[in-house]
Amino acid sequence: MSAHDVIAGLVVVQLAAPLASLVAIGLPALLGRPCGERTTTRLVGTGFASGFVAAFAALVLLVARGFRPEVVHVATWFSVGHHESTIHLVADALSMPYVCFSSGLCWLVNAFAGKYLHREPGFGRFFVLLALFGTGMNLMVLADSIDILFAGWECLGISSALLIGFFHERAQAVRAALRAFTTYRICDTGILAASVMIHRAVGSGDFERLFDLDWPHGQCLVPVGTATVVSLLLVFASLGKTAQVPFSGWLPRAMEGPTPSSAIFYGALSIHAGAYVLLRCGPLLDQSPLASWILVGVGGWTALHASLVGRVQTDLKGVLAYASMTQASLILVEIGLGWRIIPLVHVVGHAVLRSLQILRSPSALHDRHELEAALGGHVGADRQWVVGRLPRSWQQLAYRVALDRGYEEMVVVTAVAGPILRLLGRLAALESRWIAWLAGESSGRRP
Amino acid sequence: MIGTPSPDAVDHLLVGGLAAAVVAPLVGATLATQPFMARWVRPVAVASSSTSLVAALVVAGAWRVAGGQPFSTGPALGGGQAVFVDGLSAALLPYAALIGTAVLLVAPRRALDAAAVKGTLLGLSATLALFATAHPFVLLGLWFLTAWPTWRSTRGTPGGRAAARVFAIYMSAALGCMTVGTCLLVADPPWERPGGMMGACGGWFVAVAVLIRKGIVPFHSWYPALFSGAPMSTALMATMPQVAAYTAVRLLVGHAEDVPHELEWMSALALCTAVYGAALALVQRHLRGFIGAFSMSQSALVLAGLSGQLPLELTGAFCVWISSGLAITGIGLVSWALESRAGDISLDRLEGRFWDAPALAAFFLLFGMAAIGLPGTLSFVADDLIVAGSLDVHLAAGFLVIASAVLCGIATMRSWFHVFGGPRAPESPNHAVLGRERLSFTVLLASLFVLGVWPEPLVQSLEDAAEQILHVPFDDHPRPHDPPVPHPAP
Repeated sequence: MSAHDVIAGLVVVQLAAPLASLVAIGLPALLGRPCGERTTTRLVGTGFASGFVAAFAALVLLVARGFRPEVVHVATWFSVGHHESTIHLVADALSMPYVCFSSGLCWLVNAFAGKYLHREPGFGRFFVLLALFGTGMNLMVLADSIDILFAGWECLGISSALLIGFFHERAQAVRAALRAFTTYRICDTGILAASVMIHRAVGSGDFERLFDLDWPHGQCLVPVGTATVVSLLLVFASLGKTAQVPFSGWLPRAMEGPTPSSAIFYGALSIHAGAYVLLRCGPLLDQSPLASWILVGVGGWTALHASLVGRVQTDLKGVLAYASMTQASLILVEIGLGWRIIPLVHVVGHAVLRSLQILRSPSALHDRHELEAALGGHVGADRQWVVGRLPRSWQQLAYRVALDRGYEEMVVVTAVAGPILRLLGRLAALESRWIAWLAGESSGRRP
Repeated sequence: MIGTPSPDAVDHLLVGGLAAAVVAPLVGATLATQPFMARWVRPVAVASSSTSLVAALVVAGAWRVAGGQPFSTGPALGGGQAVFVDGLSAALLPYAALIGTAVLLVAPRRALDAAAVKGTLLGLSATLALFATAHPFVLLGLWFLTAWPTWRSTRGTPGGRAAARVFAIYMSAALGCMTVGTCLLVADPPWERPGGMMGACGGWFVAVAVLIRKGIVPFHSWYPALFSGAPMSTALMATMPQVAAYTAVRLLVGHAEDVPHELEWMSALALCTAVYGAALALVQRHLRGFIGAFSMSQSALVLAGLSGQLPLELTGAFCVWISSGLAITGIGLVSWALESRAGDISLDRLEGRFWDAPALAAFFLLFGMAAIGLPGTLSFVADDLIVAGSLDVHLAAGFLVIASAVLCGIATMRSWFHVFGGPRAPESPNHAVLGRERLSFTVLLASLFVLGVWPEPLVQSLEDAAEQILHVPFDDHPRPHDPPVPHPAP
């Protein structure tokens, strides 16, 4: 058995393990025989642990082989004529550390959530969605084609929205979930269109035909025009998942979900999914200064916006959401500047720290009291070094702008979403009147 | 040692299977209306539709064993024979029978009287017969036979007269156009005498008939009206099999080079309908309105793909046909089960039905996800194929398909959250899923997931059908940007 075969087997395990746990707990629940709490956490935990161990072993092998990328041809999913959808996965210097990190975090959060959600009515539902998320994450990270990457990306979006609306009896949670899903779905047009453009340009969705897989030194293999269009579409897709202006409104609301899911999604993995896609397609960005500068501009603006708005938040999760947004924006700036290793390190560092902060947030007061008891006095308040030195009138203006979240939502709702929905409402009303007239009714009611 | 079955034996099996598939619902309809069967209406109905399903699967298997070549027998006219089975029929026969069986399993007791069962089974039988013919006049007759039970059932429903009237107006127009168009096409077939005036007019009449029967803008108003006013079983059985799409395949798509303008117009209108229906689904105020607009959008996507001239587009359209049909049937049936317990469902507010019916919430969500392209379901494969197929020809068409998919996704999640999210309704009982409902939902879901994870056999079968319809041999698939393949002279 060659090293390639061993790595191939390990890569398949990374994908199959969380998927198997998803099926193992999802299918009995669907058939009306859900697993018990302990079985559920063990099954999901085993899936993530197996994924982590397999990824770590593959990483060791890759290091021993000098990080030479290995493409694993799992199967041809379906083919029509010359259009093939293949399941190709890649083990390289980007994907293996990322799977280690994501599977490891999911494993830890699984252990935390087993206790945190004990006897919660939606216990099984949470773990089904967590397993779906883990499977989608690994699928996205391991993907060697835009089609497979999109499949993973979709799983992330769906599980994220459903976990935001986990406490579905709360109207606010439901609205937040719908808002997040709408934003994701709008930005998904970018990745779908990119997929289409890639197929059109190179006749397949495989990344190997777009760029060398020698991450981070890969070279772009397509003309500048194609690289620019695909990069712009991928940047657009990333803006939604990474909560960049003008698509940032969903992130603070996303904290309506259970704390463990907030930690893993908006502190660690989901918020960085866009950054991962851009890192994976880095060679295309290198060929597209326009896309890179847009990334720097949007990321920089969002970082300023989020750091300003985050300072006036009155709840801890809101502060953490804006802090996450700030760091995710800075990561995009780094990617736009052409750096590759630094953003990856930034992603891992930020994800670990932020998950810990979010997981500890329910006991923040307790932690603070313990800290103060240990110090024997009050912990000093944060000093507003920059804002504190501004003139008073500027401070007041900044405060108002921050309280209104930079007027971003006002613009999106009043100038974009509102008019479109009103127009559609009028069309629907016209339809009803036309049907009523056809039906011989005078009231204008739909039959 | 088992030998290869002789061609005659396979042909007999095909004909026998077809006969059983079409006759079983008729027998069921006759039995169900007998007074002594009053207590056994559902078992009789389900048994007959299940027999039909098994027979349809036998036909599909026999067709595959026979080498996957089109099978035809009976009198021929206007380019089609009375009995005709190819890859498309082999896929659509079990598909229609499965929908019929699922509907009969889930139908609430009060909606399942002898008259309703009779209408459903007659409609199923006519639909199955239609899927096994390419003869223009047989198609015409079956158009009428498939529309009649829908109108009767809707008219007999309390509050359904208005919807029945709207349906009757549109279907009369469709049947009129279809009759004129078929006669003109048969009298002066454009594929035999290109450039003939009568044949050209016939093509346009048939195209308009297809547009009306498919609910394509601007002939779409019967679609939401039917979903609002008719029983869910009637609405689903009238729309999900998509008899107009099948007719378009047999009378127009198979002669694409002779009716190119008709197909172009159909494609353009269908794409607009796909986006318009999805947009309307976003602002619906009732669950049934959402299902109507959503299915209008999905069904239009099928026609948009059918109007293409590449096997890839056609295969994508066939896949969307089956995946969206199964998924929307699932959504409709779950909604019907919920309505039968909780009354009308509004989307204006959060109904909070999750607490009452968690299993129905799970099934609705899974069917919804399966309809909007959840990875691992057949609709993901279908979306991939139809987007790739339409983009190979027109970039704008591909982006309209994407826009429709995005809007449908948002509309589906909005409906789910509005129906199942929100505070628990006071004193609401727990609505457990009945065994027959769970069986029906599980089989539909399993079909969507199994075909999504392992789509190759279905896709191959549909691709064969697409190639045969377009007369494109396997190795001559046009690649993107290649000039269109010239069709052989008939």
